[in-house]
Amino acid sequence: MNKFFKVAMLSSVAALTLGTVAQAQETVVWWDFLSGGDGVRMKALIERFNTEHEGEIVIQPTTLEWGTPFYTRVQTAAAIGEGPDVMTYHLSRVPLGVESGAIAQLDPADLESVGLTADTFAAANWEAGQIDGNQYAVPFDIHSIILYYNKDKLEEAGLLGEDGLPTGLDGADNFMAALEKLQPNSEYALSLQTSGDGTPWRVFYSLFNQAGGTFLGEDGTFFPDESIPAAVQTVETMASWVEGGYAPRLTEYEGSVALFTSGAAALHMNGVWEVPTMTDLAASGELGFEWGAIAIPTFFDQTATWADSHGFAIPNNAGREMTPEKKAAVLEVISWMNQNSLSWAEAGHIPAYAPTRESEEFRTMQPNATYSVLADTAVFDPKSVLAGVASPVYDAVANYISPAMNGEMSADEAIEEMKADLQDQAD
Amino acid sequence: MIRNHRREVVAAYLFILPFVLSYGVLFFWPTLQMIYLSFTDAPLIGPGQWIGLENYIEMFDDRRFWTAVRNTSYFVALTVIPNTLIGLAIAMMVSRLKGWQQSVILAMFFLPYILPVSVVYRIWNWMFNVQFGIMQYPLTWIFGEPTPVFRVQWMFMPTVAFVTIWWTCGFNILLFLAGLRSIPSDIYEAAALDNANRWTIFRRITWPLIWPVTALVLTIQLILQLKIFDQVYLFVQGGRPDPSMVMVQYIYNMAFQRNEGGYAAAIAVALFAIVIVFSVLQFQLLRSRGEK
Repeated sequence: MNKFFKVAMLSSVAALTLGTVAQAQETVVWWDFLSGGDGVRMKALIERFNTEHEGEIVIQPTTLEWGTPFYTRVQTAAAIGEGPDVMTYHLSRVPLGVESGAIAQLDPADLESVGLTADTFAAANWEAGQIDGNQYAVPFDIHSIILYYNKDKLEEAGLLGEDGLPTGLDGADNFMAALEKLQPNSEYALSLQTSGDGTPWRVFYSLFNQAGGTFLGEDGTFFPDESIPAAVQTVETMASWVEGGYAPRLTEYEGSVALFTSGAAALHMNGVWEVPTMTDLAASGELGFEWGAIAIPTFFDQTATWADSHGFAIPNNAGREMTPEKKAAVLEVISWMNQNSLSWAEAGHIPAYAPTRESEEFRTMQPNATYSVLADTAVFDPKSVLAGVASPVYDAVANYISPAMNGEMSADEAIEEMKADLQDQAD
Repeated sequence: MIRNHRREVVAAYLFILPFVLSYGVLFFWPTLQMIYLSFTDAPLIGPGQWIGLENYIEMFDDRRFWTAVRNTSYFVALTVIPNTLIGLAIAMMVSRLKGWQQSVILAMFFLPYILPVSVVYRIWNWMFNVQFGIMQYPLTWIFGEPTPVFRVQWMFMPTVAFVTIWWTCGFNILLFLAGLRSIPSDIYEAAALDNANRWTIFRRITWPLIWPVTALVLTIQLILQLKIFDQVYLFVQGGRPDPSMVMVQYIYNMAFQRNEGGYAAAIAVALFAIVIVFSVLQFQLLRSRGEK
């Protein structure tokens, strides 16, 4: 009996000591929606963070499904105080996140204490995390769409300049002429997703901004009258690629990537996040051609490219006040991730944090360095609860712009109906 | 023997209490809450302001709502009666088999029914795949070129209906088989002695005697298909969601994507009303026909 008592005493002392040790180490519960090449690189970053902060902070990561499932989960979890301590968040989703009360406001003083200030980010990027001047998310990267190219095919068509980069692609007419030159030695001159949302939205928004269009007016009007011609012109340009047989009809995302990686297409418009796909295939010798990537050409009057950001946000956990220790740990996570975002750039993204973006290592990282100029003219999604990743605007693209690209409705009709639809949902 | 009536009643209530409690808490109370919610402007989470009938007024003006109603009705038309008739036809064929043959064939027809919808989606999306799908052989023969059936608007609903029938038919076959077995064989023997042909036997004996089962299957099917969501939601991915939007999908969109819980509840109440009205109407109609 006595012996039993001793053992019990000892083990409870041991448990207490262990408990204290565990308490000194702050656990940060982390949610993200990153899969594929992004997921692999983020897991590596988190592991590095945990090793470097051994005994102080440990990140407990969970990956959830991208899009509506992720954001619904965050909103419901936050409402009952069961959300994570920190999570990745698309800056384009901040308006809806704030309106639905899912994300908490960040204190500028807190951010400044770990070196995160407005001047360490591109202005448009930093502001994309704000609503009415209050900060709700800290940018982590800028991701956009770029033009992937098959160097061999471009060379054959005489579209490579002396610097080895594609030339003669700027201007809608020149681009069309280039497609004509590329078509004979490819199944498709240009592969891009032509069904559903995603790429169609990103390409549309880029070209529409290049034509000087306004998607959402100050007064809350979608496609103000003076912007309708630009919108129609953009859709007509996109439709002409499919109509001429240069781009594949009704093709989904995966199919559009496969057309390029298999060498069937000379050009490919897609997000920077496919860079690892190309790098890995080229490294294993499975690609079979030399590839490169440049910023989307300027089709119309000015340079502009759609962009979004992965950022960090803290959920508005109802009834759960964050302890100062926890808050400090979370801030450290956000700041550390930004300082170490160079390895995140290997996933194709452009680091949001200026010191990383301007570092020598990033400026020599290819192909990112070639297309990172797009950050200067990047246009972020309109600030509206109807816009952003997996939003009604994305749905509207699947319902009107993609069908117009495939000739199922005219460009006029598509813009007119899209305007009516979005306006109807806004009012 | 003197029976203690009060004690019996108490015991009875005690026995049904667990059911009444769980039914009340899990079904009845949420339904009331949903109806209440439909009169507010509540978001997905948390309460909202009482706005009276505004959601319902908005609903009548909402063209997407009417698209959803139309598509749901179209889907019901495409599935309920065909699924029932096909189920009956297969059940009659299976019932002619004997012993282990019947068990094996029945199991094969029932197999799709136990599959989760995501697996059904994977199988058929692959089979209809434009580049590699096996269904492209007949489709190319009919239309002259490979056809992305889930991207061509007029083919979408019929194809989803076809897949749904393939998926759910097994259960109907089982119900019909049970019904067929309960028809006494001496009636058939008497008919055979009278030299009745197969069609007459079916029309005069099988059809009337199987009618109660048919009415049941039709009603179950109607309720089930009015609530169509998963198949449409899955197959429309990467395509145009609006033209093939069904009611439950619209509720999901409004609540989870648009954060408009109150409005979504109003649509849910509308669907609830439609299901009740139609199923009661249909069951009464079918029953009265069967009694003639």
